[in-house]
Amino acid sequence: MDDTVRVLVADDEDDIRLLVSLAVRKAGGTVVAAVADGRQALAAARTELPDLLVLDVSMPGATGLEVCTALRADVATAGCRVLLLSAGASPDDVAAGLAAGADAYLPKPLAGLIAEVRSLTAVVRA
Amino acid sequence: MSTILERPAEQTLPRHSPVLQPAHRLFPVGLCVLALAGIAVLASRPAGTGMLFTGASVVLIAVVELTRRLRGQLAMAQALELQRRDLVSQGRTTAEELEVATRMMRARAQTMTSVIDAVTEQSIIGTDRDGLIRVWNPGAERMLGLPRADVVRARSITDFHAPEELDARADPESDGHAAARFAALVQVARDQGSDVRDWTYLTADGRRLTVAVAITLRTDDDGEQAGWNFVGTDMTEARAAERLKDQFVSLISHELRTPLSSILGYLELVMDDEEQPLTADQRQYLGTVERNAQRLLRLVGDLLFTAQVDAGRFTLQPADVDLVAVVRAAEDTARVTADARGVSVRVAAPDGELVVRGDALRLGQACDNLVSNAVKFTPAGGSVTLRLRDGWQDDAGTVTELPRAGTRRVALVSVSDTGMGIPTGEQGKLFTSFFRASTARRHAVPGVGLGLTITKAITTAHGGSLDVVSAEGAGTTFTITLPAG
Repeated sequence: MDDTVRVLVADDEDDIRLLVSLAVRKAGGTVVAAVADGRQALAAARTELPDLLVLDVSMPGATGLEVCTALRADVATAGCRVLLLSAGASPDDVAAGLAAGADAYLPKPLAGLIAEVRSLTAVVRA
Repeated sequence: MSTILERPAEQTLPRHSPVLQPAHRLFPVGLCVLALAGIAVLASRPAGTGMLFTGASVVLIAVVELTRRLRGQLAMAQALELQRRDLVSQGRTTAEELEVATRMMRARAQTMTSVIDAVTEQSIIGTDRDGLIRVWNPGAERMLGLPRADVVRARSITDFHAPEELDARADPESDGHAAARFAALVQVARDQGSDVRDWTYLTADGRRLTVAVAITLRTDDDGEQAGWNFVGTDMTEARAAERLKDQFVSLISHELRTPLSSILGYLELVMDDEEQPLTADQRQYLGTVERNAQRLLRLVGDLLFTAQVDAGRFTLQPADVDLVAVVRAAEDTARVTADARGVSVRVAAPDGELVVRGDALRLGQACDNLVSNAVKFTPAGGSVTLRLRDGWQDDAGTVTELPRAGTRRVALVSVSDTGMGIPTGEQGKLFTSFFRASTARRHAVPGVGLGLTITKAITTAHGGSLDVVSAEGAGTTFTITLPAG
């Protein structure tokens, strides 16, 4: 059985999207989709059913929080792991992310991104 | 209530007053008759000396007694006159005092009115207990667009408030009833004595103003509640500017953090690539890039933090914090830079723990700021000492090693350096945002002048204080004093 962790990446910043994709590969995961819009992320999640989604909070179409809430409300995607990335680093920002159903929240500048992705892929594999 | 003037005369005058004595007691008719009888006997020239003597004796006794009584009456009359003069004098004094008091009351009322009328930038609105407007100053006329005559005794204060704000605080069952809205408006002031918060005022021409309103209870001379005072300051533009500033800072923060994320993220990928390890030179160059990116990141964080403090949105995440660990961590953080500059860093901390209630991240930030500053301002060969101890502080701020009456336990973190010091005249400005001491500028010490502002804000938010002692050319000691429970 293929134990590669399937990851969806969504960020409207091209550089960050590529950076996260590289971090996912470095952590041993496979990027099944990399999109720049919240609506696209939700649509791709419903078709690809990834193990893990790495979502920027601030995106056009739908915010990462909205995508996360929608994923949790859909039986098909409720079990996906979600890592939120955001420029907001205040305790309120983090609390809002976790309240939306995220498994982890990483504020920019994304220190320890590879370690965080690696940790979540390990959880998925377990 | 009846007054002394309304009482019957016999109740207000002493019972022994001669004015009220029956006529027969004032005019001794019997004695007069007796004296006349005696005179008649003498005038009839009685033959016997006995009758003559008796008549003379009667006359004499009657005259003596009459004289005595007349003297008594005279003394009473004099006493009455004195009493009358005294009463007249007292009455005059009372009348004069009343006049003075009336004049003072009028002057005071005039002063109050003129002060209230002189306020044109704030609305001063007074109501009765039910919210009916009784006072409406020129500031209220200007702010809300209605003259006094149209409002006083005719309108309720709630007519000028956004109803949805009042209904949101009112009893849900009240269904927009005016009394319930007014009760909601003054509820906090009623419970706590006063209340200051933003409300939305509705002007006569339909504008909505954000007004900071101070609501206080007004009492009469007997201490009974007479009504309410509402003093309002139009904050519409100020609040809009604050919102813009918040949006700007948030935008800048986001726009700066995102490219920094790319820089630092890709650096991490390159520097940690085990398959293609870097040469020593490459690692050094990229280390410099990373260090400067981190510096920019700290600056962005400091700017955002300062904006949060200014906006009153700075909050702590309180927990038990071991200051020994905080101080040791600050030493570790500063070690590399200090070694590179040839500055030694020493720590004097107690064995075991020294726990305070606070935000570990922010207290660490405060200590890091002080140590980082000390290292920056100390020339090669100098030293920086971090000292942690506990003590007891009284209300005047004096700290002693042992507890005394009226003292409370505190923790003191001091950071001393042997650096260039701060000129005495500049020490009062040290905690102002973007202020840089002349010694910092003269010696080209890098920085933007936010570290001490932030450290002060963190210390204050913990209920503590930040003090400085410095001598130019000799060194500086900053001390954080925190409540230690």
